[in-house]
Amino acid sequence: MSSPKTIGNKAPVLDYKSAGSLLNPLKNLQFLGRKAITEPLQPRLASLNYRGFHLNDWEACVGCASCQKICDNAAITMVEIPGLKNDPVKGIRNHRPAIDYGRCCWCALCVDICPSASLSLSREYVHTCDQEHIDSYFILPDPNGMHKKHFGQGWQKTEHSDLLSLTRSAMAELEPANRDTNFNEIVHGFTPEQAVVEASRCIQCGMCHDSCPTHMHAPEYIRAIWNGDVEEAVRQIYRTNPFAHVCGRVCTRRCETACSVGIRGEPIAIRWLKRYAMDQVSHDRIKQIVKEDGKPKASGHKVAIIGAGPAGLTAAFDLIRSGHKVDVFEALPHAGGMTRYGIPDYRLPFDTLQQDIDVITSLGVKIHYNCRIGTDKTMAQLQKKYDAVVLAIGLSKGRQTRIPNSEHRHVYRAVDLLQKISSGEEFELPQSAVVIGGGNVAMDIARSLARLQKQQFGEVKITVTALEQQQHFMADPDEIKEALEEGIIIRDSCGPQGCEIDKSGKLIGLKTWKVVSIFDEEHRFSPRYDETEETIHAGDSVIEAIGQFADTTLLGEQLTEKLEWNRGRIKIDPNGRTSEPWLWSAGDCVSGPDVVHAVADGHRVAASIQQQLTIKTNKS
Amino acid sequence: MAKETKETKETGSRKLLRSKTSIAEILDVAIQFEKTAHEFYTNLIPNVSKNLRYLVEELAQEEQEHFRLFSELRANPEIEKQLSTMVPTPPSNTRFSLAIHAKDLGESPDDQTILQYAMAREHAAMEQYGSLAEEVEAGPLRELFTYLSLEEAEHRAELEKLYYEIVHSGGV
Amino acid sequence: MRPENYQAVNHPPSHEYELNFGPNHPGIEGNYALKVKLQGDIVIEARADGGYLHRGFEKLMENRLWIQNIALVPRICVPDPVPMEVCYSLAVEDLDDIKVPERAQWLRVLQLELSRIAAHLFTFGGHAATTGMYTPMYWGVTDRDLILDLFEELTGGRVYSIYNLPGGVRQDMPEGFLQRVTQTMDYIDGRLKDYDNLFFTNQIFIRRSKGVGVINQQQALEWGVTGPNLRACGLAFDVRRDDSYLIYDQLDFDIPTEDAGDAWARTLVRRMELVESIRIVRQVVQALPDIKGPVRTPIPNPLAWRVKAGDSYTRVESSKGELAYYIVSNGEEKPYRVHIRGPSSMHAVQVLEKLSVGCRLEDVAQTMFSLDACPPEVDR
Repeated sequence: MSSPKTIGNKAPVLDYKSAGSLLNPLKNLQFLGRKAITEPLQPRLASLNYRGFHLNDWEACVGCASCQKICDNAAITMVEIPGLKNDPVKGIRNHRPAIDYGRCCWCALCVDICPSASLSLSREYVHTCDQEHIDSYFILPDPNGMHKKHFGQGWQKTEHSDLLSLTRSAMAELEPANRDTNFNEIVHGFTPEQAVVEASRCIQCGMCHDSCPTHMHAPEYIRAIWNGDVEEAVRQIYRTNPFAHVCGRVCTRRCETACSVGIRGEPIAIRWLKRYAMDQVSHDRIKQIVKEDGKPKASGHKVAIIGAGPAGLTAAFDLIRSGHKVDVFEALPHAGGMTRYGIPDYRLPFDTLQQDIDVITSLGVKIHYNCRIGTDKTMAQLQKKYDAVVLAIGLSKGRQTRIPNSEHRHVYRAVDLLQKISSGEEFELPQSAVVIGGGNVAMDIARSLARLQKQQFGEVKITVTALEQQQHFMADPDEIKEALEEGIIIRDSCGPQGCEIDKSGKLIGLKTWKVVSIFDEEHRFSPRYDETEETIHAGDSVIEAIGQFADTTLLGEQLTEKLEWNRGRIKIDPNGRTSEPWLWSAGDCVSGPDVVHAVADGHRVAASIQQQLTIKTNKS
Repeated sequence: MAKETKETKETGSRKLLRSKTSIAEILDVAIQFEKTAHEFYTNLIPNVSKNLRYLVEELAQEEQEHFRLFSELRANPEIEKQLSTMVPTPPSNTRFSLAIHAKDLGESPDDQTILQYAMAREHAAMEQYGSLAEEVEAGPLRELFTYLSLEEAEHRAELEKLYYEIVHSGGV
Repeated sequence: MRPENYQAVNHPPSHEYELNFGPNHPGIEGNYALKVKLQGDIVIEARADGGYLHRGFEKLMENRLWIQNIALVPRICVPDPVPMEVCYSLAVEDLDDIKVPERAQWLRVLQLELSRIAAHLFTFGGHAATTGMYTPMYWGVTDRDLILDLFEELTGGRVYSIYNLPGGVRQDMPEGFLQRVTQTMDYIDGRLKDYDNLFFTNQIFIRRSKGVGVINQQQALEWGVTGPNLRACGLAFDVRRDDSYLIYDQLDFDIPTEDAGDAWARTLVRRMELVESIRIVRQVVQALPDIKGPVRTPIPNPLAWRVKAGDSYTRVESSKGELAYYIVSNGEEKPYRVHIRGPSSMHAVQVLEKLSVGCRLEDVAQTMFSLDACPPEVDR
């Protein structure tokens, strides 16, 4: 670069200080002969990035109200438009910004912050009206412009002007080399500095709250974390979720799918922030916070809950706080359900889960372990002894593919093996295994076995096969990435056709056909195969992780017949009540597999039972 | 008990199909085939656990629907003109029998077993009509067989989707 | 009938009277007014009336997010809004330790100098009008419009550019922008001789303005006079050089001074500064294409942005003198306190009140304009 010091003219030499001739101004008489400058009445075309009237792409706009929040003149009001799509799960609200041009100063900060990049300014800038139409200054911008004449885009968001921070705050985790032989928790969680930075990315649109099955107060606890008040964050978390440690680690986090920042960037790490808040506050302090409401008055009612998983225990948490006596019956030696027996320790350490459960039991919830309803006690007994019964039995049985030779004794169900691993039961560890399924359960079993194989044999021989293409696996993308890092082979678009057995009867692998397409035009599951592309995936075991179902045999024939059903599941009303007035059902067994859904279900049935018992109390 | 009824009746249907040669008679066999299936599923309903009954009920209803469709076809005046047309007897094949022996439903079948059975049945019917269509000369008979084959194929595809939805839920 | 609390007014001797000068006077912008006491047509006392716009900028800023103030500050000085944005941004950057990319610094200087030219064109036109010459006013405003065209192209807004943010500028300049800057500079360069003929070397102007509103060096320092007004007293102080900010230390420019300290000298200093600013703009135009890189250092999400606790006194040289922001941050999402040290409140209140005394009535407006005070900035 040449030095700018060499450029620029010296001031032209003009003797200003001289008295100046009286005739000087006459020199300007030359202008008399020039043509006058005239400006047309038609508005002049504005520059390409002019900040004129607003345009809003209604298809892209999600109604997050960030524009309203940043508007320094309070010129923006979010208006509900009834006909528009309102999809909380996808993070779309049927609200659109309306602008009061009596207040707007055209600073375009609304454009620069807009998470969906739907808002922009146009090159149009003329509007006038008489007193009768003064309302015309209050407009609902759309893609066509204020007067339905498109003048072209003016100020738009660019990568320079974007005001959102679209990338996540970094968080430490175990490197593959340090985790492949143990079940230590992989994610370290945020440090206080990282958490505050991450929390600062939140625009407080509340899409997370709307999309969450249990409507967690995520904006509030994120704000509290940002303010450095982790106890307040815990208080906000416990408003809706007693499985706070669990959901801080393994939640399916619809909140992050709905997050407005996620439209163009990485959504706020809401799950890790929740975990951060829970980890920061001591267990005893959490228990104190939960008990801040004081002890409830005993109602004299008794409720039985079958299954000490997230749904059952959430219902127990709510009911005990309403003053009812709660007995939880758990068939297995530990509480937690799938979160205890299905999710490996490296994702959800047993101790952390135990803390959540301890908070609940510390309130007085009694859990009867190793008590299987149907054998140790019957439903009829429960019905007689309790005012209400909640069925929260989860999806404990693994589905089978029933492909040829799948009856072989080395063909396992993933849930059975996971349960064996987490309860420390002895089992024959396969030297090499082929997993069928592309969900989180498939990843859990593959990664758990990989760790054990690495410990025992020093090498990992696991192949995961699934019908879907890898980018459409139901498993969390992080799970897939980490599985690959841990030496697991993933073969996508493979439809299982049969298990291969050699002459001696030994299982030698899984035969698959290439999947050509997986969904039909209506997006229903309907895989099509290319039979010519056949693969044998070698393995001395095959593990099926294709799905689970509820084991409802505990109900007994009589109750099964009495109950109403809905496509194989117990029929429940919107409050979780079955067709039997004393029986409610919640969690995976009625809503499908998802922890946070189960928590939401638990609250729902608890509220319904509470209402029912109140009516009962008032009657008597 | 229900199973036995089905086997004898459907084995009978197969024989009928091979010996009959007019369109009217072929349609009668197809109608009979659907009717038998409808009866089979209807009889199965009380024998499965209540939570799976919806599945069998649906299958029965769909067979009933097919029965109605084929009966209407039979009564269609357009078809009626051709009903007496005689065609050469198609050579025998064994695909129908495959369907009949496809799956033993066992004592208390679960949803997966029922669906597997139903799919196998629809698949066999589809192949049977398909190969009949190939084996006869071009003309109304071939069109009829093709139509029947497509109907069964569609039904099978529907069942397959249901199967995948129920069984391959993906495991979270 | 008279009210009970009636008191007879003590009228001054008949040759003394009070006159409300402004607010609706062509020589006075905004709501500002002077109450002048006259003896004949000689002013014997003047009291400034800030206008009480009650815009309360400083207070408003305490209630707004750090970023929202960006849209507010340019409004404090309508004729020269850019230094407001830049100075506020510099102060926040100072508080939060934000480093501004070099390209953004050059773009800021380009914008600052263009704004200075625009402001001086506006002022000399206004000054001419106060002496009864309306043609220079039209010329000044017309030519200023060409610079507003450049602003429109660069920033999307003609007057309030709202182009600077803490961290840099909001967007890079459009394609071919520098070419059009050069064209406009060439044009204004060419116009200078016309201005000279019409106004600066015009005997009417010289005779009207010489000896009016004289400030000597001593007074200038005591009264807190800054900017061209100070340099017209022969003191070559300029924040751009003496407390350099952005990339001014890499630029070659002179600081014109005059010695007379009167209305004429002040206007003449501005006339010479036009040339210096054009020189700076030309240097930026030449250097800018070689300065690559981003134009903005990203700041955290502005809806949850806490600027580090501390205080900052940051000053720049605006067209009207030294402009400074004193900002105190408590580490919150809004400023705790903002104080603006604007040049106009000094010039329009304490200086003008004193300079007006002894003036003839018809020179009051001229004195005011020669000080180049901006009324909205008086009452912040």
